[in-house]
Amino acid sequence: MVYLMTSLPSLTFGQEPPISMDEFNEDARNQLSAKHFRTLTLVDLEKMDAKKGGIKSVSTLVNDVKHDLAEVRNAKKQNRQVMFGRLPKAVLSGNPLQREENIMKWQWEELDTIESGKTFTLTEVMVYKLKLQILLRLQSFDKSKGAEVLASVVNPSKNEEGK
Amino acid sequence: MAGIKIKYTKTERARQKKILKVSERMLPLFEAMEKSLMATINTIAERIEEIREQIERNRKAAEPWTAVMNDSWVNMDEFISVNKIITKAVDVAGVRVQQYERVDFNVTLPREETPLWVDDAIELMQEQLQLLAEIECLLEQIDLLEEELLDVRARVKLFENRRIPNAKMAIRKIGQKLQDDERLTIATAKVVKTSKKEGAGL
Repeated sequence: MVYLMTSLPSLTFGQEPPISMDEFNEDARNQLSAKHFRTLTLVDLEKMDAKKGGIKSVSTLVNDVKHDLAEVRNAKKQNRQVMFGRLPKAVLSGNPLQREENIMKWQWEELDTIESGKTFTLTEVMVYKLKLQILLRLQSFDKSKGAEVLASVVNPSKNEEGK
Repeated sequence: MAGIKIKYTKTERARQKKILKVSERMLPLFEAMEKSLMATINTIAERIEEIREQIERNRKAAEPWTAVMNDSWVNMDEFISVNKIITKAVDVAGVRVQQYERVDFNVTLPREETPLWVDDAIELMQEQLQLLAEIECLLEQIDLLEEELLDVRARVKLFENRRIPNAKMAIRKIGQKLQDDERLTIATAKVVKTSKKEGAGL
């Protein structure tokens, strides 16, 4: 665990991911016990289910965010104020991209809290993976590729003709 | 007119007068139809331009956040696609065309964990797809109206350059021929009368 954590590059919110998820998984597989690695594979910010395991604090975080997102949708449908359980209201400011970045920044800070005082533990490795996921997702936000996605849905025939 | 055989009879003159009368009555109607079709096509073309501007305005308004649409966690194709464009048949400038009503979408509702931006993207895409569908219908309308316009223009030309001048010429020629025949008859009658008188005097 110590060797793995010291060998991994440090992560800062908003930076280019210094390693890929495949590289991280490879390092983790080589340096963690099979049991720890299995637990690590359960931790996934995108697909994690609170019932399936991982760290309780992280699965609670993911679930709370899910509920808060559902609350935003319900409030919009019912034309009322949003009543967040965990997310701060400030995350809703700005355009959809800024909103998503706000939520991810908040998640990053929550992960900081979760890992504090847990140096060289499996929790730290799990948090590292989740932070790497956040960076990789942030990196996928690309203006020209996003415009292509919009065009592919809005004008699929034109796009096919272009190909 | 050349090559057309004219029957120099009073019946034919009456028939040509009838053709002229009908043609002169029909020509303004076709001219009005031509103007109406042209005006309608222009109005539709302006509407298409307005819609295109709206699409561009929407695109520009979304530009600051389109980056998020490349989110590695989301596949937008799963959320929205067009099922069918609903139209209704209407008469525009006398032509039966399909008028845009609405778009029937296949929309998958975002799940709890779906990022919030997907809702905004669905809204934007619906708006853009509706506007594009309206353009599609309007372009089809223009095609049909232009087809009709060509037909009407051909009719106007037919009346202006063929039917009316031909009928006028036929009426004039028949009139001249009938007049000539009448004069000849009178002249012949006079000659016969004079000959008879001279014969009687001998």
